[in-house]
Amino acid sequence: DALLASHRSYRSRPTHGIGRFKYLLPKEAPKRRKEKVQMKEISAGTEYQYGDINIQMTSYDLCLVEHFAQYVHRLCNRLSIRVNESYAMPTKTNEVLFLEERGSKMQLDAVLTTHQRVVQIRGLSSTFAPILLEIIQSSQPEGVHLLMKQHTEADFKSRLKARPELEELLAEMS
Amino acid sequence: SAAARRPWRLFGAMCLLRLPRITQPLEKEEEEVAALMEQIELEKSLYSDHEMRKLEEEEQLKRKMESLYDEDEARGKTVIMAQDLEEKWEQKFLRFKAAPRITDADKSNDRKSLNRKLDSNLMLLVKQKIGNQELWLLPQVEWQPGETLRSTAERAMATFLGDHIQAKVLGNAPYGIYKYKFPRAIRTENNVGAKVFFFKAFLQSSDLSQAELKADYLWVTKKELGDYLQSEYLKKVNRFVLD
Repeated sequence: DALLASHRSYRSRPTHGIGRFKYLLPKEAPKRRKEKVQMKEISAGTEYQYGDINIQMTSYDLCLVEHFAQYVHRLCNRLSIRVNESYAMPTKTNEVLFLEERGSKMQLDAVLTTHQRVVQIRGLSSTFAPILLEIIQSSQPEGVHLLMKQHTEADFKSRLKARPELEELLAEMS
Repeated sequence: SAAARRPWRLFGAMCLLRLPRITQPLEKEEEEVAALMEQIELEKSLYSDHEMRKLEEEEQLKRKMESLYDEDEARGKTVIMAQDLEEKWEQKFLRFKAAPRITDADKSNDRKSLNRKLDSNLMLLVKQKIGNQELWLLPQVEWQPGETLRSTAERAMATFLGDHIQAKVLGNAPYGIYKYKFPRAIRTENNVGAKVFFFKAFLQSSDLSQAELKADYLWVTKKELGDYLQSEYLKKVNRFVLD
């Protein structure tokens, strides 16, 4: 297939396989699913750096949250703060039921979806961190909750889905 | 330790901010753009579930009026129609009253209350006696050897507002510095002048039920700072206060 994928020339002609280039590229290692190891550095002293920090934004309104997450990401790019990842947590749906009892019992339903976006940052110096926090706080839109916390293993695990079959098999084995 | 005593006296001052509660009103261009985007979105959008349901029920009603097809379509008949739901929601919405954006304190221009300008930052200013002058300043207290500057600033806050104030200090690094030399009359070898380090804190709770120790205090926005502070002091303070 490497021979035939090039520009079509007849096989007996000397120009056959003229466009081949893939054999010139370096070999790619096969992709493996690896769990990312956390890195945390806190060097005490005047140069004080935070490790991984998560900025979590939650709201009921999807557009607002996404735009705000975009704004925070671009702000960090401008301020040359390294952004590790920016991902979304799964949305939670809440059903609100009103039980009104005026003679006939009526149930009014409302369905609310809560959306959450996370921007992960590394290498924030402690002299700059409060300024960044103030900027983000003062440019918060209405209805968006902001939370800044350090990245922990529990946060990382919450993104992964539990595998009940695997756990059952493991329990059977041991 | 037996280090040589520096000629400068150090003060720690606290800039206590009350964060805005409401968003600022949009500028003219922002409003125009918002209206335009809304119109574009409306024209591009598709019908939602609720609107489809409404349209179907209107068609059903029309068909009932014209010809009597009650039996066939009465099987999946819902008790509540989409139109009724809409009317119910509208009534609920009319009953809801939002809190006013311009509060009483705004109208009376009472600078001592915290309810004043809900859409901008408010800072605490206190009248203090320095030398023989009474000046409006951010609350400051002299630094004592052996404590960090941040705790000096927190002490300054505590002396003027009482303990257990729910304020969150941002970081250990000062935000600004203002230094001045004493007039020649007071100057000695050890006391050339003073340096004031500013720290920032956010006010978490909005009620200050504790009694204020000094009666002369004000909550002002950045624009009104110029009315009270001296020019040099104002220049340095303006550098680190966001609007």
